[in-house]
Amino acid sequence: MDPLFLALSCFRRRKFDRCIKICTELLSKNPYDQAVWSLKTRALTEQVWVDECDGEEEGLADVLMDDNTIASVARPGTSLRTAPPSSAGGPSQTFRPSTQSGRPLSGVVRPGSQGGRPGTMDQALRTPRTAQTARPVSATSGRHVRLGTASMIQVGEGPFINLARLNVAKYAAQQNIAKALFEYIYFHENDVRHALDLAAQATQVLEFKDWWWKVQLGRCYYRLGLFRDAEKQFKSALKLQDNINTYLLLGRVYIRLDQPMAALEVYREGLDKFPGEVTLLTAMARIYEGLHDLPKAVKYYRDVLHYDATHVEAIACTATTHFYSDQPEVALRFYRRLLQMGIYNCEIFNNLGLCCFYAQQYDMTLTCFERALSLATDRSIADVWYNLGHVALGIGDINLAYQCFRLALVSDNDHGESYNNLGVLEYRRGNLETARAFFMTAANLSPHMFQPHYNHAKLAHKVGDLQTSFIIVQKALALFPEHVDSKELLKTLETHFHTL
Amino acid sequence: MADNERWLTAHHDPLAALYTFSSCMALADLHGDGEAKLIIADLGTGAYNMKLKVYKGTNLMSENTLIDLPTGVITFHMDTTEPRVPAVAVASGSYIYIYKNLRPYFKFTLPTLEVNPAEFDAWGQARDDLLDVSMLYEILDSLRQEVGECGLTTRSQRFLMCPDHTSQTAFLDQHKGFILKRQTVVTCVSTLKKSHSEDDAISCLVLGTESANIFILDPEAFTILNSMSLPSVPVFLSVTGLYDVEYRIIVACRNGQIYTLKRGTKIGRPTAELTSQPVGLIRRDKTVIVATMDHHLHSFNNKGKRLWCIKLPGAVLCLECLELRTLSLTLVALALADNRVLIYRDKHLVDTIHTEDRVSAMRFGRFGREDNTLVLVLKGGGLVVKILKRTARFDIQDADGPSQGQVVKLNIPKKTKLFVDQTMRERENCVLMHRVFQHDLYRLRLSTARSYVQALETSSNPISLSQTEPLKLSAQVLGLGPTFKLRVELQNTSPSCPSLHLAVIFHCDDRVYSVNKSYIQIPILVPGIIHVAETLLTCVSELGISDTVRVFVVKGKSSRPLLTAVINMPVAEVFMAA
Repeated sequence: MDPLFLALSCFRRRKFDRCIKICTELLSKNPYDQAVWSLKTRALTEQVWVDECDGEEEGLADVLMDDNTIASVARPGTSLRTAPPSSAGGPSQTFRPSTQSGRPLSGVVRPGSQGGRPGTMDQALRTPRTAQTARPVSATSGRHVRLGTASMIQVGEGPFINLARLNVAKYAAQQNIAKALFEYIYFHENDVRHALDLAAQATQVLEFKDWWWKVQLGRCYYRLGLFRDAEKQFKSALKLQDNINTYLLLGRVYIRLDQPMAALEVYREGLDKFPGEVTLLTAMARIYEGLHDLPKAVKYYRDVLHYDATHVEAIACTATTHFYSDQPEVALRFYRRLLQMGIYNCEIFNNLGLCCFYAQQYDMTLTCFERALSLATDRSIADVWYNLGHVALGIGDINLAYQCFRLALVSDNDHGESYNNLGVLEYRRGNLETARAFFMTAANLSPHMFQPHYNHAKLAHKVGDLQTSFIIVQKALALFPEHVDSKELLKTLETHFHTL
Repeated sequence: MADNERWLTAHHDPLAALYTFSSCMALADLHGDGEAKLIIADLGTGAYNMKLKVYKGTNLMSENTLIDLPTGVITFHMDTTEPRVPAVAVASGSYIYIYKNLRPYFKFTLPTLEVNPAEFDAWGQARDDLLDVSMLYEILDSLRQEVGECGLTTRSQRFLMCPDHTSQTAFLDQHKGFILKRQTVVTCVSTLKKSHSEDDAISCLVLGTESANIFILDPEAFTILNSMSLPSVPVFLSVTGLYDVEYRIIVACRNGQIYTLKRGTKIGRPTAELTSQPVGLIRRDKTVIVATMDHHLHSFNNKGKRLWCIKLPGAVLCLECLELRTLSLTLVALALADNRVLIYRDKHLVDTIHTEDRVSAMRFGRFGREDNTLVLVLKGGGLVVKILKRTARFDIQDADGPSQGQVVKLNIPKKTKLFVDQTMRERENCVLMHRVFQHDLYRLRLSTARSYVQALETSSNPISLSQTEPLKLSAQVLGLGPTFKLRVELQNTSPSCPSLHLAVIFHCDDRVYSVNKSYIQIPILVPGIIHVAETLLTCVSELGISDTVRVFVVKGKSSRPLLTAVINMPVAEVFMAA
């Protein structure tokens, strides 16, 4: 068989290693064979290719040292960074737990849904960093090196293309190999500067009439943090050619500029051109979720499900919303659907178990949790134990609940929720000093939770330490201004203070 | 905004750095030139740097240093000389300092109180070295139990505050030679016209003291004309009438009662009882207006009958009476903790002034050549002067409509059909479901207990609740890497018994991390106090991978750790290859 044909076949069957091997052999015979050379470039690129539209996450440095945001004090509902509006609709903070950024918990873990944007340097350095988080802390640049590049994979005989000696102008003129070369530089070598150089020259050669190069230019600018330049390139590319990917990229630019409304507008335009496009709908739903507008987010997720009934993120997010709005039986349906689709992991069984328990399907509850425990990884087992603790509390077995919360702490010693619940159990047992220590730890570990503050204030009030109680209940109210019990406590304390 | 319609901001100095209260501000024409000056007794830092400041227009005209914290400033005419220039009286400690033409003129000292004989004897014996320091301390301490802290002299109070033996000895040596006096301090000060009611007639000073007395001072000879007593310490005074004819003094006291004193009475008559501590008292016409700490504004008549009471939207900081002679109106200004000044006409809100900070002191009156001026001192030290426009009117808008309907629909979640179906299933198979659940529950209890015991045996818990060593451990990672800081917080959660001989050990793969201090000795752990142990940890791996670090807490030479925490380290920042 013709080795080039074989290599092409391997490439199509995504057997990149074999394809590269064949290409290398061919190239050693004839180093000037452009077809083989370009095939090898593509194979190398494909090996490490990452979908940038989805997998992007802002590193700590990007978030903190960001000077692209326009309004430092944005009006409510126009920024992804502001605190949750108290009357945003949907279930309140009492029922739906929030993430560290004070955002309601999403149905799926995706980049950015966990940490959110920290307010201060101190918070940023502290909160996401306690033991078990997957959150990257480094800058995007460092992240990309890890995410999808071959820079660190050891190659026997040196690099395939020596970028420093590359004649960019020559290759920019040869359109047939320039695109492959660009992707190689961008994804495989992760050398944005060279990629930008190549894209700039190539688009010049084509007299600024090729949308593909414009998009690539925009990507390079985006990666370099030049969001306004990227925006210009994407917009100009959209004038030449409507493309879903371009809309998505432009939306990302606006998100990075913290202009969610503009991003929504872009997606909406995209939807006009490509009605029912799932990726655009999902992106919109995510933004609404970020803006705490859960009813709208769910509406878009439902639209997604209308077009793509197997969309995992949409199913999971809809299920979560149902669960927290007191319809566990509906959530159960959705999670069962996920299970049927072949998702078989600890989290899904954990959620199924919880849904069964709250929907009063007791015969299935504990089986699901057992399955979840057996499938659990180190990272998720703490949550399973924590939920089991809740089930135990629900059936009134305090001892079992206590053991479960302790076990949650064994596998994750930063589990603030468990500390809080343990504190409540200790409080009921009468060990006030221990309970106090637990509440303080919980508040320390999870600064986004109002519960430990409230519990601590309640405890302090009970032992007669009104001053401490007053100070702490105000912290709880700062986190959750609508919390009725905290308000009542504050009122009681105030009456204490000004009665004679 | 409403305040812009009625008030002009004449002067705004956010950096005036004033720390004062309404009682320490006065407006008066100090030089007889027809221009009223603003006199402020500044509390400085609260400990030193107290000043008597006089503003002429927007400029600081003079500054006199005060020796002690001022409690009140008042201007009054003490003689009939021409030109008619008022004197300034500053109440501070147990003295009244009188300034004329802004020069010190006279110092009045409050009469001393009777010293407790036992206390007097004790100090006398201490002076003659018949008593040593510890015995004196014991006598005074038992005396304090008997008569209370206020019954002692300030010297005894200070002596009892000395923390240790040496400082007590030093204090005794320094002070034993002087005669023992018990003095009281002025809490509030006001004026009372002597025999004529003109604006520039001679006035007496009325003082309230910490010894629960009211003194009326003669303005020329500075002798006590009249002394009256109250059941509690007076905090706010309101005086009307003439000393020689008939007068009435209304006093708000620290026990939350309002008392009335008239000519000829020696003891205050209880007039009204408040529900909370008073924060300000104003008399207008025939009513008394009192703001209290529980966010209420009360109005009483002279007999003590409550006329009305309104709930305010926030805590009141100070209260001032706005007397508008041109409109023949008397309004009440209330500074609230939410950066607003509300102006009430009777019980109707007629105006609101918004400020950028809380208002700590207010004074209304003639300032410069402008009759209706409101001077505000902000909490942050700023000074704001607002002039009332001559066109301003304070009409009562009848906006009090009927209260809104209280019919709020309860949000009862709907149950889905699915739920009903599942309930049916539950009803049909109840026995089976219960059995399965119980069976599973037993198994779960067993497996949980097993894991729990295993966790206890391996001490892999970050908290220990054993009787001997109840400890709690929490660990944090700080920093971006490659160098991290590991922060371990240890807390003893036992109610009373301290922990000894503890140490923290960090354990990790030495190919990935290098630990700066892998063994940290922990000092004695006092219950309740959080002890922090920190170490630096450097990622030495070239691959940029992350690993776990274990933290053990061990006691003495025991081979089994008390506590263990596993820290999943974050990925260290990897710099891009150039």
